[in-house]
Amino acid sequence: MTTAAARPWAAVRRTAAYKEIVKALWRANPISKQILGICSSLAVTVQLETALVMSLALTGVTAGSSLAVSLLRKAIPRNIRIIVQVAVIATLVILADELLKAFLFDVSKQLSVFVGLIITNCIVLGRSEAYALNHPPGQAFLDGLANGVGYSSVLLGVAFFRELLGSGKLFGATVIPEAFYRAGYVNNGLLVLAPGAFIMIGLFVWLEHTLLERK
Amino acid sequence: MSGSAKSLLFTAVLCVVCSLLLTAASSGLRPYQERNILIDRHRNVLLAAGLIEPGRKVGEAEVEALYAGRIRELRVDPEGRILEGAERARPDGLPLYLIQEEGEVRGYIVPIDSRGLWGPIQAYLAIDRDGQTVKGFAVTRHAETPGLGGEIEKEWFRRNWVGKKIATREGTFVSVAIAKGKVEEGVPESKRPHYVDGISGATMTGRFLTAGIRDSLSRYEPVSIRFRRNQIAEWEKTLPPARP
Repeated sequence: MTTAAARPWAAVRRTAAYKEIVKALWRANPISKQILGICSSLAVTVQLETALVMSLALTGVTAGSSLAVSLLRKAIPRNIRIIVQVAVIATLVILADELLKAFLFDVSKQLSVFVGLIITNCIVLGRSEAYALNHPPGQAFLDGLANGVGYSSVLLGVAFFRELLGSGKLFGATVIPEAFYRAGYVNNGLLVLAPGAFIMIGLFVWLEHTLLERK
Repeated sequence: MSGSAKSLLFTAVLCVVCSLLLTAASSGLRPYQERNILIDRHRNVLLAAGLIEPGRKVGEAEVEALYAGRIRELRVDPEGRILEGAERARPDGLPLYLIQEEGEVRGYIVPIDSRGLWGPIQAYLAIDRDGQTVKGFAVTRHAETPGLGGEIEKEWFRRNWVGKKIATREGTFVSVAIAKGKVEEGVPESKRPHYVDGISGATMTGRFLTAGIRDSLSRYEPVSIRFRRNQIAEWEKTLPPARP
């Protein structure tokens, strides 16, 4: 890389946003490093479309709840802080669910209970309790966003391989040419099932750990 | 102010704010959601009728066009007579859908209201004009466990129903039941036309749905009898004439 091209990157690299997102993508990825949110990542990664919508919903909820909790952090009485956080998260999740039902009905039908289950996703409450409660709103929002992006990266990665190898499609469009099937290529049925997701996530965890160790 | 009074006050304010937000969202988005639910219902009626190939994505406009052209919504009384005009509002009236093509009735669709394991199941069962052969089945609403009972909305389960008989060859009503496991393995040959493959891990869902289908179909039995005896000339008159 030339120095001229590297310079704008260097400026970006110094920003807090960049550091947070890189940290959530790699060193502290919610799924592959902290092993949180596994349930939904097993369930909604059969297709890229559902994984993408789920990612957006979770990122929105995490960023929103971190922001709201951080704004209220000085007013929240310590003894009921968990209840308050859960109430905030639940409100945002129901909002997300209502929005999906209004504008993305088919996807919302496929996601069924899993949107509602964002409430119980450890990533959301974890970020709010561990970070947003004692950081200013800007940073808390960024932290929620970064963790949402970290979750999404694994979700989309897993969904990419599951849909490609399991059904020969990407975003519902067939990408494996007909000639492959005629030559004897078969979709891997295991990847459509939940155990396939488990193996895929395991591979992601392994990949991330090995790559980090090399550094 | 003491600590606990502050906590109570904070909780109360938070609850009011959250409920206001949710109420606003719920009432503001309802028109959109209701339209989606209506389209989805129509899509499932068409799916049960076999007018949409499974797996193909069909847009809203196409669903509405197909529905308007091929499906006719009627209300019938418990004896299977068509209710017209002011009578349509009768409380004991039953909704019925006719599948039409070129001025002919090709079959009819019975709405199924059933209990499920976790909540009500709503589905459609389409029956051929012979009054006994199932044309198709589609679930429009359910709250069953995804991967177990939730499989009732999947294509493999729906395909199961096509060609099954709700009555014996002599015309006695028997309904169609969901077997425990595969039909070939657990059901004697003579009864196989009245059973579909079950879902492993969802015995209860199957049992509830079997009962729900039997109930709904027996309520519509007078209609089915008319079809079996081919007494539907009166019905065909209600259809728009065939296009030249």
